[in-house]
Amino acid sequence: MTSEMPPGAEEISHAGFNRHVGPLYRLPDDGERTRFAFVVVSKHMNAAGSIHGGMLMAFADVSMSRTTRLVTDAPSCSTVALTCDFLAPGRLDEVIESRIRVTRRTRTMVFLSAEVAAGERLLLVANGVWKIGSAR
Amino acid sequence: MSAPPGYTQTELSDPFEIHLGPVFEAGAKGARHFVLRVDERHLNGRGVVHGGMLMTFADLALGQAAWDATDHAFVVTINMQAQFLKTARAGDLIEVAPQLVRRTRSLLFLRGDFEVAGDAIFTASSIWKVLGKL
Repeated sequence: MTSEMPPGAEEISHAGFNRHVGPLYRLPDDGERTRFAFVVVSKHMNAAGSIHGGMLMAFADVSMSRTTRLVTDAPSCSTVALTCDFLAPGRLDEVIESRIRVTRRTRTMVFLSAEVAAGERLLLVANGVWKIGSAR
Repeated sequence: MSAPPGYTQTELSDPFEIHLGPVFEAGAKGARHFVLRVDERHLNGRGVVHGGMLMTFADLALGQAAWDATDHAFVVTINMQAQFLKTARAGDLIEVAPQLVRRTRSLLFLRGDFEVAGDAIFTASSIWKVLGKL
């Protein structure tokens, strides 16, 4: 088990909710997918000793929102829908990494899929729809 | 932060929920509804409530309802579907009355409509697995 951020990590949690649950980091892309990471600390846990589902969903949401802005250059975007499957529990001190793929992009919408993993162990998979711009 | 009139503070045991709470509730076991007062800790870069916060509140409220329905069994979320209808801002009171849609021997199906002043802002459905009594 290691709690070290991989090389090239850049902090992205500067205010509000992201800062309160962070730090959260962007990692270098793997060629096809954007990547993000955080280290599990005690505030992320549930009473059963696993990462809280809300933290995993929030991390997927942050990763997918950031990816939407990166691929569209839009100043803002908003989550329209997000579906998450919880596959396995995450533990204290683990480095959690997300890998995000854009499935389709239209003029106003972006469709994405996410994997959230601790090393080789897949914890959560998600699919989401984002709207470019903040109007809803 | 004090409870809205008629509400009491929900007893939370998950550190992540305590970190983002408090949450308040009213109603009897099995029919409890929950409220969250949005503050700066819950906002995204646009100054509106963060999607991750809404999903966390949904996991908390629907989880409390799952707990009520199983008489405090150990339950875990296996899936959540969320739709984001409208924004909420600091100071807004978000309220949900979770509904138990169906229960099988090992699964619970729950949903909730989240409202600010009677206006739906977010909806979530989640599936829970019952792992046994604590």
